[in-house]
Amino acid sequence: MTENYFGSALRRRIIFIIIVGMVSVQSFQLVNMQLLESGKYEEKSKDNSIKTFPISAPRGIVFDRNIEILVGNKPSFTLQITPSEYNQSNSKLIESVLNVDSGYINKLFLRYKKFAKFKPITLMKGVDYKIISWLEENHVELSGITYIVETKRDYSFGINAAHVFGYTKEIDRKTLNRNKDKYSIGDNIGFGGIEKKYEEYLRGKKGEEYFVVNSRQRIVSRYDKGKSDIQAIKGNDLVLTLDYETQKISEELMRNYKGAVVALNPTNGEILSFVSAPQYDLSDFAGVTSIAVWDSLLNDKNKPLFNRGTISMYPPGSTYKMLVAMAAIEEGIIKPSYEVNCKGGLQLGNRFFKCTHFHGKVNLKEAIEESCNTYFYKLIRKVGIDNLSKYSKKFHLGEKTQIDLSPESEGLIPSIEYYDKVLGKGKLTDGYLLNLSIGQGEIITTPVQLAQYIALIANSGVTKVPHFAKGYIESSSNEFIPFEFDSVKAEISKKSFKLIQDAMKGVVNSEKGTASGIKLKDILISGKTGTAQNPHGEDHSIFVAYAPSENPEIAVAVIIENIGYGSTFAAPVAQKIIATYLNREKRKMDLFNFNTKVPN
Amino acid sequence: MKIGAKLQDKIDLVIILSVIALLIIGIVSIYSATYNHPTAKGNLNKQVFFMMISSLILFAVYFLPARTFRLLALPSYIFSLLILVVVLFFGNTVYGAKSLMSIGSIGFQPSEFAKIGLILFLSYWLTDAKRDINNLKDLFYTVLIGIIPILLILLEPDMGTAIVFAGISLAMIFWSGLNLFGLFVVLSPGIILFASLFGTIPFMVALFLILIVLFYFKQNLFVSGSVFVVNLTAGFIFDLLLNILKPHQIKRLQSFVDPTADPLGAGYNALQAKVAMGSGGLLGKGFLEGNQTQLRFIPEQWTDFIYCVIGEEFGFLGSIIVLAIFLTLFLRLLNLTSVAGDKFGKLTIVGILTLFFIHFTLNIGMNLGITPVIGLPLPFISYGGSSLITNMFLIGVVLNIYKNRKHHV
Repeated sequence: MTENYFGSALRRRIIFIIIVGMVSVQSFQLVNMQLLESGKYEEKSKDNSIKTFPISAPRGIVFDRNIEILVGNKPSFTLQITPSEYNQSNSKLIESVLNVDSGYINKLFLRYKKFAKFKPITLMKGVDYKIISWLEENHVELSGITYIVETKRDYSFGINAAHVFGYTKEIDRKTLNRNKDKYSIGDNIGFGGIEKKYEEYLRGKKGEEYFVVNSRQRIVSRYDKGKSDIQAIKGNDLVLTLDYETQKISEELMRNYKGAVVALNPTNGEILSFVSAPQYDLSDFAGVTSIAVWDSLLNDKNKPLFNRGTISMYPPGSTYKMLVAMAAIEEGIIKPSYEVNCKGGLQLGNRFFKCTHFHGKVNLKEAIEESCNTYFYKLIRKVGIDNLSKYSKKFHLGEKTQIDLSPESEGLIPSIEYYDKVLGKGKLTDGYLLNLSIGQGEIITTPVQLAQYIALIANSGVTKVPHFAKGYIESSSNEFIPFEFDSVKAEISKKSFKLIQDAMKGVVNSEKGTASGIKLKDILISGKTGTAQNPHGEDHSIFVAYAPSENPEIAVAVIIENIGYGSTFAAPVAQKIIATYLNREKRKMDLFNFNTKVPN
Repeated sequence: MKIGAKLQDKIDLVIILSVIALLIIGIVSIYSATYNHPTAKGNLNKQVFFMMISSLILFAVYFLPARTFRLLALPSYIFSLLILVVVLFFGNTVYGAKSLMSIGSIGFQPSEFAKIGLILFLSYWLTDAKRDINNLKDLFYTVLIGIIPILLILLEPDMGTAIVFAGISLAMIFWSGLNLFGLFVVLSPGIILFASLFGTIPFMVALFLILIVLFYFKQNLFVSGSVFVVNLTAGFIFDLLLNILKPHQIKRLQSFVDPTADPLGAGYNALQAKVAMGSGGLLGKGFLEGNQTQLRFIPEQWTDFIYCVIGEEFGFLGSIIVLAIFLTLFLRLLNLTSVAGDKFGKLTIVGILTLFFIHFTLNIGMNLGITPVIGLPLPFISYGGSSLITNMFLIGVVLNIYKNRKHHV
């Protein structure tokens, strides 16, 4: 710089350039921000001042097949606390009213320390209405404590069916991470049973409310006077195939037993009643489940949480005899007139295989009616393991039924490959076979498989996958939309079916039939008893049946654990279930008559 | 026109009209910024009151005899240093800085009034006929005059005002004809300070570059050596400075680099200000309609972030008009340096121009996100009594110099 003197023209020019340059830079930035990128900032400014609050959607109602409510909704109050507005000196009072340990609120604050102070956090779910009234009365002193009304499940309609319905609970973090588009923290999600299976139909769609908030996130007003709010859409109502009365009586009959009941319509697989006993009380799961309840359920040696209808596997016992018989007839191994002289059992090598009685000469029909083991010991040696596998497969035993309830077990029908693997190649002896012929030994099936097997026999080889859901009522249109289920078939000749059906009719209706005790005057029942030995104690009592014998409308499998003969325990249960269901028309008539009976 | 020309002869209309326009814009903006605020509503009345007081002061200063300012130069500088010391002991802390003095219920900021003392005294000192700014000894004393109040202000600590003081001193020295080597001597410690802000390696590199420049100037060993030592010391002083700076100030410096890194922390204001500015668009959201302003997303918007009230509610049009008025004011002030009757008047105007310009640059820049968040009010527009009174006083000085432009004192 050469002009080193006071106020030189060059220095004046430099200052001029600095001033004009700075204003130019600022003007350029103004153009950039306010003209070119203003859209971006407008968006941000809106985000800033509009806060979205979710409106929870009530879940769909669960109905029985005649649109009777099985599971409903009721309001649930959730207390919330907003740290920035809350007065800590109220903690003692609130903690005592809520009946929680002192320091509970402080602990809550510590846990949510990283969260924004102006955001409400959940203090307690499922709060009693009385506490809400108290809060309303004292809301001035109790600033920062608010509540929201949500819905929770209402199980007060007389049906528990815990294993069918399942329950809802707060979504866990893992599931939430996988479904971020659908759920947010604190949402309820179906857990187990049809609540889980049909979650998509039941959950509904959350709505959104928009509020204008200031920089401290305090609500100033409703955005757009609430016109832009999105209303919550209630979940679709689910129509089940269950029959209210049949389900109710099934639950009552099984109240003091361990075991399972599966009753279905053999023509279409619709499950009419389903019980896994013992049950747990669903009302304990409507709101927040206490740890004490959880512990007692988890530690109960009767395992009430376990679904015996689809998971437990039992030996089918004598109910398996129909399958052995069908295999023998279909393969032309014997004629129905084939007779065996039962002398109370069969000697095989140095081992005696017992029968239940001394039956004398029996043919195939009599062998089923009287459940003669000796007949089937002899028969199985002709039929062989491969035919057993073949026909078990035809009747879908030892495989999942694909019922709309998970989890489901497969069961096991031992094949020659199985024995080669377990015993060593070629080591299978007739001893194992003899046990199999009466549904004992390595063979195990689930109650739902048994029910499907009976349905196939009852309906002469055609039914549908067992299922609980008939369809749903779309909440927007109120339209009923049915679900479709696959057909299930067992392809054997009509003649063989007829033979077995006759024999099963005889089980209940002939003089010597093992279940003649449950014979009804007005309803012709076909059935088969089973008594399954097991290492855990008394025999399992099993009874499978369908009715009416011609054009059956209900097929049922009843298993009662560790109690004794099938005819003594399971058969009467099945009988009452069948009678309740088949008398439904009569029930309606009674109702009708009652209504029209006008006193003179 | 005739009346206009006559009036123009007595008082510079460009200056006075620009200032009036800015004051009106200020009142409108403060009205909007406090409109929805529960505690700040009284600020508008206070500001109107300060405007009346400061207008009286402006006219009083305007009518003072021309020689008054020379006579006042040294006393006002000494008085400034005195109150800057007093505030360190008896002041109130505002935003982490001990910068406010209270007398009864009235609070004022000594550093605002000290600006007057610095400008007048530097003007007086630098235009003394005996002084040669290119003499190292004279330069040293000059720098010392500037440095003392800066150090006192850094102790408060008030970064923004310190920058203003440094800028004023630098501009006035520059205007006085300091040669290139002198400029280098004055500026290099600043460069070192800035470089060491980024760590040890940039500091070493800067130091090395300064060494090379020193060789280029071919000054004697003693001079070069002293300059180098001064620079080295400056680097170490920075460590001290970092300790003096309050955590919120360090955070502000850091958040300038990336304001989005901590959107609810130190960068919050800068981000919200940008959102307010940008969302204004071409014509703005309308008076009292800016949601950023009315919903109070920016704290104390009537002070340092007043410009984004204008940006949001009056849009690009409003914002650019404010820039245009300031530009007019600055260029007129620059123009008046040649109109002023003597060197003292010229240099005083340079000091005043620099004061307004630095406030303007840092304030607008902060609102637009092009400079760090350093709290400085926008002259004539932001709320604040001390700053308004000081600014109006200085405008009075300028108008006085203009009035007396034909008299050589």
